[in-house]
Amino acid sequence: MVCNKKKKMKLPKFTWKIWILIIILVLSLISVFGVPPIALKKGVLITSVESNSTAFEAGFREGMIVTAVDEKLINSIGEFSELILNKFGQVGGPIAVTFDTDIAEIVYFSDKAPEIIVSEIPLTNLKFGLDLVGGSRALVQAENKKLSSDEINDLVSVTENRLNVYGLSDIKVSPVSDLEGNHFMSIEIAGATPEDLEALISQQGKFEAKIGDEIVFIGGERDISSVCRNDATCAAIRTCESTSFGYVCSFQFTVYLSEGAAKRHADITGKLDINSSNPQYLEKPLDLYLDDTLVDTLLISEGLKGRVTTQVSVSGSAEGETNEDAYKAAEEKMHKLQTLLITGSLPYKLEIVKLDTISPALGSEFLRIIMIAMLTAIGVVAIVVFARYRNIKSSLALLLTSLSEVIIILGIATIIKWNLDLPSIAGILIVVGTGVDQQIIILDESRRGEFLSLKQRIRRAFTIIMGAYFTSIVAMLPLYWAGAGLLKGFAVTTIIGITTGVLITRPAFADMIRKIEKD
Amino acid sequence: MGIFYSNTGDFIHRDISLTGGTTITINEKIDLEDLEGHLTDKLDSFSIREISSLGTGEPIAVVIETTTEPDVAKQVLEEYLNFKLTKENSSIEFTGAALSQGFFKQLLIAILLAFIFMAIVVFIIFRSFVPSAAIIISAFADIFMTLTLLNLLGVQMSTAGIIALLMLIGYSVDTDILLTNRVLKRKQGSLNSRIYSAFNTGIMMTITSLLAVTAALLVVSSFSATLTKIFSVLVIGLGFDLLNTWITNVSILKWYVIKKRK
Repeated sequence: MVCNKKKKMKLPKFTWKIWILIIILVLSLISVFGVPPIALKKGVLITSVESNSTAFEAGFREGMIVTAVDEKLINSIGEFSELILNKFGQVGGPIAVTFDTDIAEIVYFSDKAPEIIVSEIPLTNLKFGLDLVGGSRALVQAENKKLSSDEINDLVSVTENRLNVYGLSDIKVSPVSDLEGNHFMSIEIAGATPEDLEALISQQGKFEAKIGDEIVFIGGERDISSVCRNDATCAAIRTCESTSFGYVCSFQFTVYLSEGAAKRHADITGKLDINSSNPQYLEKPLDLYLDDTLVDTLLISEGLKGRVTTQVSVSGSAEGETNEDAYKAAEEKMHKLQTLLITGSLPYKLEIVKLDTISPALGSEFLRIIMIAMLTAIGVVAIVVFARYRNIKSSLALLLTSLSEVIIILGIATIIKWNLDLPSIAGILIVVGTGVDQQIIILDESRRGEFLSLKQRIRRAFTIIMGAYFTSIVAMLPLYWAGAGLLKGFAVTTIIGITTGVLITRPAFADMIRKIEKD
Repeated sequence: MGIFYSNTGDFIHRDISLTGGTTITINEKIDLEDLEGHLTDKLDSFSIREISSLGTGEPIAVVIETTTEPDVAKQVLEEYLNFKLTKENSSIEFTGAALSQGFFKQLLIAILLAFIFMAIVVFIIFRSFVPSAAIIISAFADIFMTLTLLNLLGVQMSTAGIIALLMLIGYSVDTDILLTNRVLKRKQGSLNSRIYSAFNTGIMMTITSLLAVTAALLVVSSFSATLTKIFSVLVIGLGFDLLNTWITNVSILKWYVIKKRK
C-alpha cells in the first residue's frame, strides 16, 4: 500500500526575535557574498573604463564581468591579457571582437585593445578603503582663505570635470568639513600616482572658448567676470515641450564677459556669415575646450554677430523620456556648462594639506592579520565564557550572536556601499567588545536566583543595556565630524553596529538564553 | 601629568599623526641599523620600525616616520636604497602641520563633547547627582590614568590612540551603569550583596574584554601601528577601569547609599 500522506515540513520553534535575526543574517550574507556567490563566477571584473574612449562607446562599463572573448572562456587575468594581446598585438586595421559580459554581449570594433582595466573577481561584495587596498588620497584647502561650503562645492565640480577630461577613472571627489567649520576637498584615486594628483591640483584647469582657431575668451577673471548660477532671473530652464520621441527642455544662462573679451567676441563674430542651412545661427559654433580637449560646442545666435556685449546668453537643450527626465537632464547640462566656464577662474590658490599614497602590496596581509586578530579575540571570549558558565549552549549562543553582529555590520556596509577602512575595522572591534559585555549582562541576569520571573530579569538587563547604548551613541557622534571626515568610518560603523546589537541581536540572544534556561 | 605638562608644555607625547609629518613604508627587507646611520643628520626627528609577517616572523617592510617634507624624505631614502620609490614598492603618507594641529584640537573637542553628552545621558538615567558624577569621574579617571601611564612609559599618542580613549568611555560606562543600576534600582538583598553581584558580572565583562583585546594586540603588534596603539590604550585603560569602577565608584556609591539611609 502506498501512503500519499504528505509530510509537513516543521520549522524549528524559534521566537519572532530569533527569526528576525536569522532573516537579517541571511540577507546580510547574501549582500556580502551575492547570489549565486560571486566567488563562483568565472571571468574578469572591469574596474575602470577610460571616459570618452572607444571601449566606453562600445558599451563597456565599470563593474561588468567579462566572461568570454570571441567565445573563448576566461578564467583569469593572465588568460584575458593573452587573448587581448593575440587579438590586438599586430593588427593592420580595425577588427571586430565579441566580448561576453554578465550584462550584455559587446561587439568591439577597433585596431586598439579596449581601454579598460580589469582585475580578478573578488570573493565578496565588500569594498575596502585606500588604507587597505592601496591608492592615493589628497585633502585640499585654499591657501590663506577659508572657503564657504558653496565655494567648496564649486571646487569639487570643477575638479571632477577636469579629472574626467584627463580620463582618470575610479575617482571620488567630495567636500568634507570638520568640527571647526573648515571645508576641504577630498580626492581619492585608485590608480594615480602622487605626482599625477599634485600636478592636477596645483595647475588650475585651462579653459578656452574658440571660434574656429581663434580664442574668444579664456577661463579666469581677466575674460569672464562671472557666470550666473543659482539665480532664476539669469539662469533657468526656460521651456519644456513634448516631441515625437519624448520631451525636450531648454535652458539659458548669462555669462558676464570683461570688456576686452566682449570686444574680441565682436571682432571675431563680425567676420562670420550666417549659417545657410540654419539662418538663426552663425556659420561657426563656439567650441569649449578644457585642458585642450573639446568638451562642448554651442551655436551662436545670429543677433550676436559683431556686437560688443559683456552679457552673453548661453542656451542649450536636453531630452528625456518624461518631462521630469528632460528637465533633470537640462539642469545637469546647464550645471556642467556653468562649471566649465568658471574652471580656471578660481580666485584662490590650492594647497595640499594631506597626501597619502598607499601601496596595495601589504593590503591582503593586513586583511589576513585583522581576520586572525578578530577570530583569536572571539576564540578567547569563547574560552572565558565557557570556563565561567560551564554551559556549552549558552557559550555557543554568545559566540554565534557576536559573529552575527559582525556579519550584519558587513552586510549593511555592502548595502550602503561603505568603504571599510582601518577606522571602520576598529569600529567593528569595539562593537564586538561591547556586544560581548552586554550579552554577559543578559546571561548573568537570567541566572540570578531572585524572586523574579526570567522575563522580568531579562527586562532588567535591558535597562542597563539601553543606558550603555545611549551613552555610547552620544560619545561617538562628535567623531563623525572630527578630523575632516577621516574618522567618519569609525563613528558610522560603531553606531550601525551597536544599534543593530540593541535592536536585533541582543533581543534575539535574550530569547535564546530564555529558551536554554527553560530547557 | 602636571610635571609632564610643566616640562613639555603639552599633556601627551604626540606622534606625527598629531604634529604633522611624513610616514614612508618601504615593502623591502632593509638593515635597520645601517639605514638609521644613513638617515641621521639627513632627516629631521625620525623613527624607524619594522613590519614582519605573522607566522613566519619574516621582516616584510620598514616604516620611517619623520617631520621632514615628503619630497625630501623620499629623495634621501632613494639615495640610500639605490632605487626609485614607486606606489608598487612603497607607501607615502603626508599630513601638514596645521592640519594635524587641527585634528588634535578637534579630537580633544570630540572627547569633551563625548563626555558632556555621556554625562547628560547618565544624569537622565539616574536622575541623581552623586551616582551620576561617580560614573563620570570613573570614566574620566580611566582616561587620565591611561594618559599618565603612557607619558611615564614615553609612548607617543596618535589619532588612533585618541580614538581608543573614546572607545574606553564606552567600555567604562558599561560596567559603571551596571553597578549603579544594581545598587540603586534593586531592592533585593543587602547593599554589600548587591555590590558583590554587580562585581561578579562586571569583572567578567572587563576580564573578557581585557583578554580578548590582549590576544588581538599580540596578533597585530608586529604589523599595524594603528591597531597596536588602539589595543594598547584599551588594555591599559581596561586595567585602570577595574580599579576605578570597583574601588573609586563603589566607595562613592556605598557612601552615598549609607548617607541617604541616615
